[in-house]
Amino acid sequence: MSEHSDIAAEIARTAQRVVAECDGLDTASVAARLGEAGLLGVLAPEAVGGLGLPLSAVAPVVEVAEAGLLAFPLVETLLAARLLAETQPDLAAALVAGEAVLTIAGAGSLSPGVSGVVGRAPLGTAARWLLAPLGEGAVLLALDAPGVTVAEDPGFDLERPAARVSVSGATPAATIPAAAWATLRADALLLRAAGALGAAGHCMDRAIEHLTGRRQFGRPLVTMQGLRFSLARQKIALEGARHALEHALALAGQDPQGESVPRLVARATCAEAAPAVIESAIQLHGGMGFTWDLGLHRQLRRAKEAAAALDAVAARAALAGRLEEAWAL
Amino acid sequence: MSAAATPAIDAVAYRARQRAWLAENLPPHWRADAVDYRPPSLDEAKAWEATLHREGFWGIAWPRDYGGHGLTLREHLISNQEIGRLPMPESQNSIGKELAGPIILAIATEEQKRRYLPAILEMREIWCQGFSEPEAGSDLAGLRTRATRDGAAWRINGQKVWTSGAHRAQRCLLLARTGTMEERHKGLSLFALKLDQPGVTVRPLRQITGDAEYCEVFFDNALVEPEDALGEPAKGWAAAVRVLEVERGTNRMYRGWRFEEQLRHLVTTCRADPALARLLEDSSIRQRIAQVQVDIEVLKRLVEQTVEVLVGGGSIGGHGSLSKQHWSEAHQRFAALAVELLEQAPYPASPEVEAAQRRFRKAYLQSRAQTIYAGTTEIQLGIIADRILKLPRGEAR
Ligand SMILES: Cc1cc2nc3c(=O)[nH]c(=O)nc-3n(C[C@H](O)[C@H](O)[C@H](O)COP(=O)(O)OP(=O)(O)OC[C@H]3O[C@@H](n4cnc5c(N)ncnc54)[C@H](O)[C@@H]3O)c2cc1C
Repeated sequence: MSEHSDIAAEIARTAQRVVAECDGLDTASVAARLGEAGLLGVLAPEAVGGLGLPLSAVAPVVEVAEAGLLAFPLVETLLAARLLAETQPDLAAALVAGEAVLTIAGAGSLSPGVSGVVGRAPLGTAARWLLAPLGEGAVLLALDAPGVTVAEDPGFDLERPAARVSVSGATPAATIPAAAWATLRADALLLRAAGALGAAGHCMDRAIEHLTGRRQFGRPLVTMQGLRFSLARQKIALEGARHALEHALALAGQDPQGESVPRLVARATCAEAAPAVIESAIQLHGGMGFTWDLGLHRQLRRAKEAAAALDAVAARAALAGRLEEAWAL
Repeated sequence: MSAAATPAIDAVAYRARQRAWLAENLPPHWRADAVDYRPPSLDEAKAWEATLHREGFWGIAWPRDYGGHGLTLREHLISNQEIGRLPMPESQNSIGKELAGPIILAIATEEQKRRYLPAILEMREIWCQGFSEPEAGSDLAGLRTRATRDGAAWRINGQKVWTSGAHRAQRCLLLARTGTMEERHKGLSLFALKLDQPGVTVRPLRQITGDAEYCEVFFDNALVEPEDALGEPAKGWAAAVRVLEVERGTNRMYRGWRFEEQLRHLVTTCRADPALARLLEDSSIRQRIAQVQVDIEVLKRLVEQTVEVLVGGGSIGGHGSLSKQHWSEAHQRFAALAVELLEQAPYPASPEVEAAQRRFRKAYLQSRAQTIYAGTTEIQLGIIADRILKLPRGEAR
């Protein structure tokens, strides 16, 4: 346990440095840099060059990546390398090494003939591989295979523009069974929640720094009590979400289908806390907060996409159902 | 508003006429709810707004002598309700028509009114508002841009920032310091500066939506002719406060009705999509949509009340802060809800859903500014505490 947390702290420090170095690089170079630093194999087993650590060990990496606007499908790569380690060891090893780029379709689903349109695949136009839902499971597709076309179809996220992938009778490189796919999707949500909180904490720090330096009415704005109260409330929301998430991460292995109460609580809290804190950080920068160049909108855009995936409304509806079951006479 | 005003107009017939004209004349692809939405270019917008003025949609309550239609704010409200009902392009000169115009009517000389006002309505002169500075935002009275005498004229040196529309404007409603820094708000004067001159540099700034709608404006010995000084010297603060009251209270009076149009667009789009229609049945979503409707109704009442007070000869005072604050926060909640709903659409989405996603993603980002401009949330709350509740103040603030 403590050995794990030492390693996790070391990984987080590495991530901090490497994410900053990746700024401005193309996707292939980012993959190589991350792979070299050992950040892509945190979850994958040692057999494919990974560390085989639990989900909680990699959450700090995703936090740092979201705070630092890493232009890479990181969550997708981490989880795919774990998923494919047994059945596609060569590809898993290539993912861990940063020698292959894979993305996952976040929306849509293919029909049994391996045809249809899927989308919200981050950096799809730069990727070589795609995992796309089909039925209760998924398929692995080479994006340069016959019958597959990829086009940009961006949403909010600016660093990882999403792609739409049209598939017509393609031959999958592998088929992913329902249970393994459900685990990947559930774990992806927790990591995205971690990322959104990481970004929110970062934006809040920047707002505090700005208010500390900025004087209006003859005093630093950070001394205004109204702002202090508002920041204190946001801290309550962030810390609450963080504890909910840590609990869910710690218990993730016991709930591979992703239906546990801790996971639902984490989804509901993180989906709401993270965007609200970033919105407020923009507000606290005043007119400058609304500029493209200040850049806080970039974290906001990514956090809004994460929040849509986390779907607080669905999570709460599921929780309400669980309570009814648990308290039924 | 003036003795030349002829009220006693048939409100029902007036509304029907305005509604019919807009229905007939608004180009379909300029509607923000259109699948093939394409906003007008600046030249198209200028021509359109000049037409709107001729057809009686702008300058409604301004006297006829200055190009207005000589009606009252009641007709202005009716027209704005009709404008709001349609997803029409925003005015490129709302600062001229809705901020500069009223202040010119209130404090300018007869000669200035005749020179400035028709040019605003005919879209020959677009105005911008040069108040905020890098070091003076919420604390506007700390502004540093200086105006110094040069014979009868003035020379301007300094910098403004976040100046909306300065890149397309011909004139700037400029608040500058004619007194000392120590005098704070007592040393400020208002000018109608011409932007097209060597001493002025305008640099657009890109916003989080991707558009460059506001600017930095630099003044290096820029000239203001004597006939472009507005009101009395050193009385600029009182005038600026009035500008801000108008900005919060009566500016873009159609907002409540446009807000309702947006809600209608959202709900009808969701209803037409089977999966989103099911989401609309979720009780928490229904509650939130109903709350948006409540917010809209309250906003309409606040606006209508303001109009009644003004028509009755009263002043807006701090009360504009009530509707500004209510609208900005309610509209942010709405835009966030719209995005939240539409992002749950099945993939690939219909062209209608995709068009709505584009509209409301942008509206969501845009809405972040609504609690910043025209005085931030924190400043509006302060105004309500000071000027409406009149709470006693201690030493610290
Ligand atoms: C889209 C947009 C368009 C604009 N257009 C124009 C324009 O056309 N012309 C123009 O002159 N200006 C314009 N502005 C500027 C706007 O009026 C200012 O941004 C605003 O007044 C805030 O000033 P600031 O940016 O300096 O923020 P600051 O005053 O530095 O405020 C930073 C943060 O501190 C908070 N704060 C400040 N004082 C207090 C206090 N006493 N108590 C508690 N909290 C406080 C603020 O609410 C804010 O959250 C525009 C702004 C935007 C975003």
